[in-house]
Formats: sequence, C-alpha cells, structure tokens
Amino acid sequence: MAVVSDQLIAGFSDPVQDSQTLFRTLLKAMSEPGLIRQIEQPERAPGPLSLAGWAVALGMLDADTPLWLSRSLMQDSTLSSNLRFHCQSPLTACAAEADFALALAAELPELASFNQGCAEYPDRSATLIIQVEGISDEPDWTLTGPGIESERGLTIRGLPQAFTEQLIASRRRFPLGVDCIFVCAEQLVALPRSTQIRIGGA
Amino acid sequence: MYVAVKGGEKAIDNAHALMAKRRRGDTGIAELSVEQIRQQLPLAVDRVMNEGSVYDPQLAALALKQASGDAVEAIFLLRAYRTTLPRIGYSEPLDTEAMQIERRVSGTFKDLPGGQILGPTYDYTHRLLDFSLLADAQAEGAEEAAESADSKLAVEVEACPRVLELLNKEGLIENSRQPDEADQVPGDLTRQPISYPADRALRLQNLARGDEGFLLSLSYASMRGYGDSHPFAGEMRCGRVTVELVPEELGFPIEVGEVQLTECEMVNQFHGSKEQPPQFTRGYGLVFGYSERKAMSMALIDRSLRCEELGEQVLYPNQDQEFVLSHSDCVSANGFVSHLKLPHYVDFQSELEMIRRLRSESVEVQSGDNATEQPEAEA
Amino acid sequence: MSQTEGYNFAYLDEQTKRMIRRAILKGVAIPGYQVPFGGREMPLPHGWGTGGMQVTASVIGADDRLKVIDQGADDTTNAVSIRRFFARTAGVETTERTVEASLIQTRHRIPETPLSNDQIIIYQVPVSEPLRFIEPRETETRKMHALREYGAMQVKLYEDVARFGHIATSYDYPVLVNDRYMMSPSPIPKFDNPKMDRMPALQLFGAGFEKRIYAVPPYTSVKSLDFDDHPFEVQQWQESCAICGSDHSFLDEVITDDNGSKIYVCSDTDYCAGRVAASEEPQQ
Repeated sequence: MAVVSDQLIAGFSDPVQDSQTLFRTLLKAMSEPGLIRQIEQPERAPGPLSLAGWAVALGMLDADTPLWLSRSLMQDSTLSSNLRFHCQSPLTACAAEADFALALAAELPELASFNQGCAEYPDRSATLIIQVEGISDEPDWTLTGPGIESERGLTIRGLPQAFTEQLIASRRRFPLGVDCIFVCAEQLVALPRSTQIRIGGA
Repeated sequence: MYVAVKGGEKAIDNAHALMAKRRRGDTGIAELSVEQIRQQLPLAVDRVMNEGSVYDPQLAALALKQASGDAVEAIFLLRAYRTTLPRIGYSEPLDTEAMQIERRVSGTFKDLPGGQILGPTYDYTHRLLDFSLLADAQAEGAEEAAESADSKLAVEVEACPRVLELLNKEGLIENSRQPDEADQVPGDLTRQPISYPADRALRLQNLARGDEGFLLSLSYASMRGYGDSHPFAGEMRCGRVTVELVPEELGFPIEVGEVQLTECEMVNQFHGSKEQPPQFTRGYGLVFGYSERKAMSMALIDRSLRCEELGEQVLYPNQDQEFVLSHSDCVSANGFVSHLKLPHYVDFQSELEMIRRLRSESVEVQSGDNATEQPEAEA
Repeated sequence: MSQTEGYNFAYLDEQTKRMIRRAILKGVAIPGYQVPFGGREMPLPHGWGTGGMQVTASVIGADDRLKVIDQGADDTTNAVSIRRFFARTAGVETTERTVEASLIQTRHRIPETPLSNDQIIIYQVPVSEPLRFIEPRETETRKMHALREYGAMQVKLYEDVARFGHIATSYDYPVLVNDRYMMSPSPIPKFDNPKMDRMPALQLFGAGFEKRIYAVPPYTSVKSLDFDDHPFEVQQWQESCAICGSDHSFLDEVITDDNGSKIYVCSDTDYCAGRVAASEEPQQ
C-alpha cells in the first residue's frame, strides 16, 4: 500500500521534545501500572486512532519495530499512510512477528497469538497498544505488583471478556508475557506483565 | 578542620590545557599538518580507520593528531564521531576478485595465474635504522626512487582469480559458501548487541574492529599448540576495490568511490568428520588499507572460532567465541582498564572495613584457641 | 539554554534514543532482568559511565534538573565531567541538591536523603551480571536467570560464612528483585542496599560495555541475599563525620598525615553540607 499524500497529517510539532515528553509519560505509566496519564501532543490523530495511541506510535515506533494492526486499522488508508510516513514501521500480517501491535479492543485476537518472549530473552515480547472505550480509576480491577505501593483500582471499558481472562491467566507464565498500553482519547494507562489483576474492588 | 576536596571543575580545565600544550610540543618546531600525517604515516592511519570502523583517511589522520599519536585514543575519537553519523544507505557487497591489485602474495604456490606481486612491503627490508631520514631534508635519491617506483607501478595488474578458488576446482577445500546458500543480510554490531553463539558474519565484523595486538597474539598462540591451527597463507592481496550503491529511486548500482583493502585467505587442515572427508578449510580476513598483520591475524582467528561448526573441540581461548569476541575491542578494553583511575573510595572503604573486621575476628579466634590449648599443653 | 552545535539534544540521535527507550520500558516491565540494547559508542570511555549516560540521554528533557554524583560526591572529576556533558549537550539545569533534582545519575552510591516518587535515579553499572564472577559465560548465566537457578551464588556466599563466620561481600552485594531476578545493585556499598527496597523513586541501570539496561519500578521488593542464621547486615562505624557529626551516614576514611592519622567524613557531600547549614541556621 503506497503512502497517500493528501491523507497525511502533521506528527509532533517538535519531534525531539515531544517524543521525550511522551516517553516520560509512558515511562511513568509503565513504572506505576494503573496510573492514568494524559498526553499533551499531538493535536490530531489519523483515521480512527486516538490521540494517545498516535502519540505512542510517533514516540516509540520506527523502522526497527515490526508493527501489527487489527483488522479495521489495517484497512484504514489514512492511518496506514501516516504510520508509514511518520514511523516507517514495517507492517506485518503475522501477530507473532510484531514488536508492537496497535489494536481496537473489540478486534483483539487471542493473547497467545502475540510474541510472549522466551525464557532466556523475555524482553523479545510484543507491546500491545490497545484502544479502548474508556479508562477510569474505578476499581473494576484491583492491581498489585511492582510499581504499586499497596494496590490500585482500574477500569478498562470495552475490553473483551475472553481477552481479560487470558491476560489474567498469562501472569502465571511471568517473566514471559506481553505489556499492554491502553489508550482512549488523550488518556493512557499501562499494564506490564508484572502486574497482578484481581477482578473486583479491594 | 578538614574540608572535603573541592575543585574538580578547575582541575579538569587545567588538565585539558596541559594536554593541549603537551600535544603541541616545542612551538619552535613547525606544527604537523593532518595532511602530512595522512601522507607520511599511512599505516597508522589505516589502523585507526580499521578499528574506528570508518573509511576516511583524513579524519583518521586528524584523530591521530588530536590524540598525540596514541592509536587507541585516535580510534576512540573516530568511533565516537561515527556514532553520530546517519545511515544514508548500504553498499552492494564488494567484489574483491575485481580488485585492482597492488600487492599479492601466496605462500602455497610458487607461481599462479596473475603471478606473485611483491608491491610495497617492509617484508624484505633489513631492519637497519636509516640515519639519512634523521636529516630534515629529504634523503638523497628518495625522490628519484619514488619516481622510478611510480613508473613500475604504472603497469596496472589485471584483476585475477583468488588462489583458493583454484584449489576449490579439485574439491580439496571447502566452499566459501554452500551452493544453495542465499544472500544473507549481515547483522550490525554497532546497532544491535551481540548474542551468543554469534554467526560468522558477526564474528568477522567483530574481528575487523578488533584490537590488532590482541588478535595478533591470540593467533600466534593458536599456531603454538594452544589451538589446532596449521595454517598456510593461501593468498594475501592489497589493492583498490570499487564501492557501489543502489539508490532506491534508480534501482541499479552506481559507483560511489573506491576503498583500499587488504584481504587474506588462510588455508587450514581439517581432518574430516563422520559426515565430511578430510579437506582444507578456510579462514578469512578483510581490512581497510595496508593492514596485513591485522588481516592475517583475523583470518587465523576466524578459522579457530569456526571449530564448533567443524565439529572440533573447544579447548583454548582463541577457539572460544565469548572469550575472543567480548574482549577484542580496544575501546572497550581500554575504557574498562582505565576506569580503575576513577575514584573507588566507597567500594574500597567497604573492603577496608570488611578486611579489618575479618582480621580482628581471626586474631580473636586464634587467641581464643591459644587460651584453650595452653592448659592442655601443660597438663 | 545552550546546546552543542551539530549534535542532537542530549547528544544521541532520535533513533538511538527510541531504541534505548524501548529497552527501558521492557526493563521496567520485567524488574531486575537485564535487557540487551544496541549500546552506542559514547564520547567517554566504557567503564566511565557510558551506560548510565545513554540512559540519562534517553530520559532527560528540557525541564529536568540533573544531579550527578560519583562516590556520593558532586565534585569528583568524573561527576563534574558527566554533569558538564549534559549541561552542554542538553542545556539542562543542574544541581548538587538531592531534593531539587528530578534525575540523579550516580556511580557507587545512593544519596542519604530519601528519594521521592517524582525522582528517577540512574546507576552507572560496570558489570551488569551478578553471576559473572561465578560463571563468566553469558550463555550460561542467561540459562541460570531463565531457570531462576541461583544456587551457585548461595554456595559462594555460604563459603564465606563457613570461612569467615559471615558473608564477606561488602559492595555490589547481590539482590533478588520482586522475588524473581537476581540483580547487581551496581558497586554501591551494601550499606545502600536497604534503600533500594520499595524505594518510591524509579531506579534505572545502564551498563555501557555489557550493553544492558535494567530497572526497578517504585515500591518494588529488593531483597539482599542472606541466610536465616546469617541475616544481611550493613556496615557500621564507631566514628562520626568530622564535618557534620553524622553518626548514621556512609563515611569515607581520609588519611590526614604521614603517620596515617585518619578522620571520617560523609561520602554524600550534599547531605553533609545540608546538615552543616541546618546546624548553623539557628545561630544566625
């Protein structure tokens, strides 16, 4: 698929500083799972992608990161043109080959179809950027683990039940697993594989 | 009262000023130009380009000047500069068979197609100091000699096949690649961390950047019984090779320049295995400029590191990938050894406290033992 | 703000920073696990803080305030050199005050002043593999981590107990992170190990030569290895700091004359100066 130039939008207005700001937001989120953060830049996102999802793509992806897109994102030419132009990530149709996946929550395949890393190199696993319907600190889930002082409540709206179950079950395989970044509008929240998820409040 | 030592900033500034003065030396003597270094110390320049992994004689000469002639420091300067350079493109594989040869020797055949060409070498000089070079003026007759050499060199040597391919016709030596082997994109050590076991392309890349002295001594050891190496210098060739690039928008290769290279292919014995009959095996070395010592050492170590794939036992350090590849880099080695000059007050203090405690405890134990032993001795 | 001409903000190019940032995030997600990264040549030698510098360069932003210490002190030559590097290439503000810093790059110490949740501490690491002196081969140590097979380290420590009556490792004392990965805390004195446990600040580690990055997220369990009958303990001094009188900080021994007379002073110069300033205040 070629880049369609009239569909291109601007990326970060100051790529160096904005990438750094995004990274620090993401670093804080990944270090303190369940902590909801707001992104500042960019101002527009391509196609169906949220601002936060686009910010993570701009800040973290490049030609060295094979990228998998969920069905409707793959079909959106505005999004794929902008991803190619701004990130240069090679798109892959095979989820297991991707370093990053960008997905609408409703279109998620089985968790096991993503690379979970291997015992010697658990870092060679995928990072999933999942666009959801809502994020709040209501305690639908109670999170514990590294980065959480005692426990933290989190609600992710629109995540398929089966995926949630697979995510909870995958904790038993630590250090193997995937790291998730949930995005919605300007919000993002991260759940690394080290976080234990309990359904329900404290 | 004691005040903690302050003044790190000032000390650093002073150190830089003193070093600049020392580098310049006596200002009554004309300053050495980068071009003079490039033209008149080309072998030093070649080493800096090799281990610095940048083909740029001018920058290598600049680095040597800035480093007061310290090769390791100059290599470091060039490496640190290299890191900041963007990748514009990747060249096509170099065809060393098409090399415009300036020097070519084989230790395996007296004569061969293309012939032996001694070219410029110190090999047969008697190592007698030439006191005529002491004089500031150029040594007498030097210009004449240079001119006559020029006219001889003007007889350009045609490209000629590699010696080892001649052996290959008889099947006496392994193929340099399997017939069904496809082109592989080599990894890049300067962008991805090495993981073990490393493939041959990565190993060669590491060796090409490796410290000349380290590889020389390791390969020496491999020939002295610390290894099973019985090598012959199949071929060593020095000359110029064209570099080509395929720009995305053109789709066909264009010439972007040429580089001076030294290539060495070693022939080694192989006793054969269950699967393979006895045959000769290869070791390969390829480096920038005139760097024969480095190319030969590289080829010898390449072969000794192939022992696992050839079903030989790993018995010596020069056959051990992790040992060789993780200690070959002069910039890393120099950094780690020299970091001992940094303060270690805190770790040392911890050790001091520990040693004092262990000693006082051991004295206590001993005197305690004596106290109990003595009455027994008396009894 | 000044930046060095011809170089990117904080020296590294953006692609390299992204690669390092991705490695940092993986490190955070797998606490204590050493993530291999494409370590770059830096304009300082390996072993002089290039790992920590690459992490700092990838994390630092224009709003940060950077503190750099070596052996606890802001004024040791290497700390000065690294601080200057970032002041020059990133134009960021620097500070010697622990409480004012948003980023702290350190070699061999953790400040005495407790760190807060909005700070990040970046350790310079020479040898990232805690098992390296037991097993020099990367292929082997990687297996040991994969299987959580740390018996060899327990044996080594227990040999100390058998010979000396207690564990004789005094710095770079191995820890277990989140009850899973054995980790080198870098060559800090074991005096500092307890500060790592459930620290509110994010801890990042960079090893330049080894090309490894690892991390400990805030509030994460970091346990120094020990035995039930030989619990972990830290150094203690009979003396107090000759400058500020502290009887609870890590002390450096200083030889003051040819006869070997000595005094003890705080290794954390900011902490020491802060105590002196506080004691002088009421008198003014």
